[in-house]
Amino acid sequence: MRRPLVIAWKELIQLRRDRLTLAMVVALPVMQIILFGYAINTDVRHIPMVVFDQDASADSRDLVATLLATRSYDRAGDARSYAEIERALRGGRARVALVVPPRFSSDVRRGRSARVQLIVDGSDPQTVASAIDAAAGVVADRAASLGVERLARAGQPAVAPAVVLQPTTWYNPELRTAIFVVPGLTGVILTMTMIMLTAMGIARERERGTLEQLVVSPVGRVELMIGKIVPYVGIGYLQMTLILVIGRLAFGAPIVGSVGLLYLLSLLFIAANLALGLFFSTLARTQQQAMQMSFFFLLPNILLSGFMFPFEGMPRPAQWLSQALPLTHFLRIVRGIALKGAGLPDLLGETGALAVIFVVLVAVASARFRKKVG
Amino acid sequence: MSAGSDGGDGGERGDGPPVIETHHLARHFGSIVAVRDVSLTVHRGEIFGLLGPNGAGKSTTIRMLCGILDPSGGGGRVVGCDIATQAEEIKRRIGYMTQRFSLYEDLTVEENLKFYAGLYGAGGGGQGTRARVDESLARAGLTSRRRQIAGTLSGGWKQRVALASATIHRPPLLFLDEPTAGVDPVSRRDFWDLIHRLAAEGTTVLMTTHYMDEAERCHRLSFVFAGALLDTGTPAEIVGRRGLRAVELEAARPIEAADLLRAAIAAGEAPGVEEVAHFGAVLRVSSRSGVDPAPVVARLLAARGIAVANLRPARVTVEDAFVSMVREDERARASGGEAAA
Repeated sequence: MRRPLVIAWKELIQLRRDRLTLAMVVALPVMQIILFGYAINTDVRHIPMVVFDQDASADSRDLVATLLATRSYDRAGDARSYAEIERALRGGRARVALVVPPRFSSDVRRGRSARVQLIVDGSDPQTVASAIDAAAGVVADRAASLGVERLARAGQPAVAPAVVLQPTTWYNPELRTAIFVVPGLTGVILTMTMIMLTAMGIARERERGTLEQLVVSPVGRVELMIGKIVPYVGIGYLQMTLILVIGRLAFGAPIVGSVGLLYLLSLLFIAANLALGLFFSTLARTQQQAMQMSFFFLLPNILLSGFMFPFEGMPRPAQWLSQALPLTHFLRIVRGIALKGAGLPDLLGETGALAVIFVVLVAVASARFRKKVG
Repeated sequence: MSAGSDGGDGGERGDGPPVIETHHLARHFGSIVAVRDVSLTVHRGEIFGLLGPNGAGKSTTIRMLCGILDPSGGGGRVVGCDIATQAEEIKRRIGYMTQRFSLYEDLTVEENLKFYAGLYGAGGGGQGTRARVDESLARAGLTSRRRQIAGTLSGGWKQRVALASATIHRPPLLFLDEPTAGVDPVSRRDFWDLIHRLAAEGTTVLMTTHYMDEAERCHRLSFVFAGALLDTGTPAEIVGRRGLRAVELEAARPIEAADLLRAAIAAGEAPGVEEVAHFGAVLRVSSRSGVDPAPVVARLLAARGIAVANLRPARVTVEDAFVSMVREDERARASGGEAAA
């Protein structure tokens, strides 16, 4: 036990003197949380809209006003023809165009079905979804109230609709992106720094020739691996705490469930990433290569793990691939605990999957480490 | 290729069983043969040099002796342990200084020593380890620099820290892989003082070098060439066995004179004469098989009207012996015969 401690002691001194790495360890989570917390918001509002109002009646103006009142749209001007709409969409002045047909008002008043057209710029699918949802909601409401009015005029009592859908959102009722992003961000930051620090830590020893000195010493491979990894576990926890605290203070992102359980299960995830970092270190000859590999690995993690894009929307092969990423399972664990108050029984499946990945990574990393360092 | 005789010249040196003993050690990497045939015997307290050009197999040999590289053929014992099966035992009992000093450049001098002391359990831990570190610092003259960051030291000081680190656990056998590369001459001399002191206390030292002057400071040495040992013995024995003689002279037109002599050697007009080398204004001409180069040189240069001054016999060095051996090997290969035995 003495030798791993000696190595860990040395790693900590080196880290203390390495201002750049130290800055990265602290600045990266802070920067990322501010970036993701403030800047990235997936519920789109204030979509610029042009209006082609061919009716120009009180009813049509009322419809437009109601749409704007949702704050989903900003009026980006009026169009007097389809050609003008096309220009506005193509030039990016507007993302959405509303076309109110002639006789809109008279159709509505006579109880005929009136068609309102919403033209949407489909080049950004996420905007499309938000734009259509908001308009559909407004128009449905309007149709319902018009129906009631008509019945009232005809002297008949209002009839309740046969089926009503009443959506109730749990866990993040306001659907705020920050609350969803903060727990997931712990996983992304840990993936990034844990892998990079270990991979570079060994690559640096190789580059400077000190690895050779360690290999001729009585230090065993396992002792060396443990000594190298232990300090980084501490750093991982430090980063995680930093994100959770800032998330709480700046964005009000809560931890509903047990903090203790979250930290316990995080150990498995941190260890899996460290093992992956060790594996990369056996492939990289220089610190630069180790860095490149870490970034190369990070990208599929961000894209496939469900951190940014919903897992359910991915094609099957991508889903299988993402099952192999530790981050996918950790995201479910951390979101489960932080947002839904999930306990260990709820998370057994994900914990098991993470454990399997961890064991495989350790086996592969130590086999390669043994071969390569010796 | 057999190992030379015991070079011990009295005293404690050479007592007991050999510290290193190998038989026909070989190592290849795929189809590349790094070490062909190395049989060595090194005794306690000896400073033994492996001398040879880059790529001759010196470092590969050392790595096998340290137990970090398995031999492809042959075998041996180091500090009483089998190199193939008792690598871990060997690692505990040797010190190893790598070519690049391998310090942690972001640790202080003292932290470097403490780190290695901790790894080897030097001094028994706790107070004993601290005392050992202090002692090593004092011995290497590093006490006043103990808090300096190792990366800010000059080459000579780094070398001292590296040596102090490699010997912190007082190993009976010390490997030095090109220990003085990139170190100024004064520091080199100090370093050799430390090495001789260690050897006098009973530490066995095996070092590699391609500096010929450094080889002459070893008790015994082996020439390594193309993965095999060409000759082994004390520097004097090796030089003596070659039957080399050398002269120095000052010529009026040294470049022309050297070209002329080399042409004559190539054309076979100067039997026995082997090498012409520039040393500042002085030309150095060496010959083998006991031939005196002086009359040949005088005759050839006089024929061309090149004035010669101060033609005098010169001391034959290890470098002369080495160059001569390599040339002989080249000649043997060029003539299609077997490599020099």
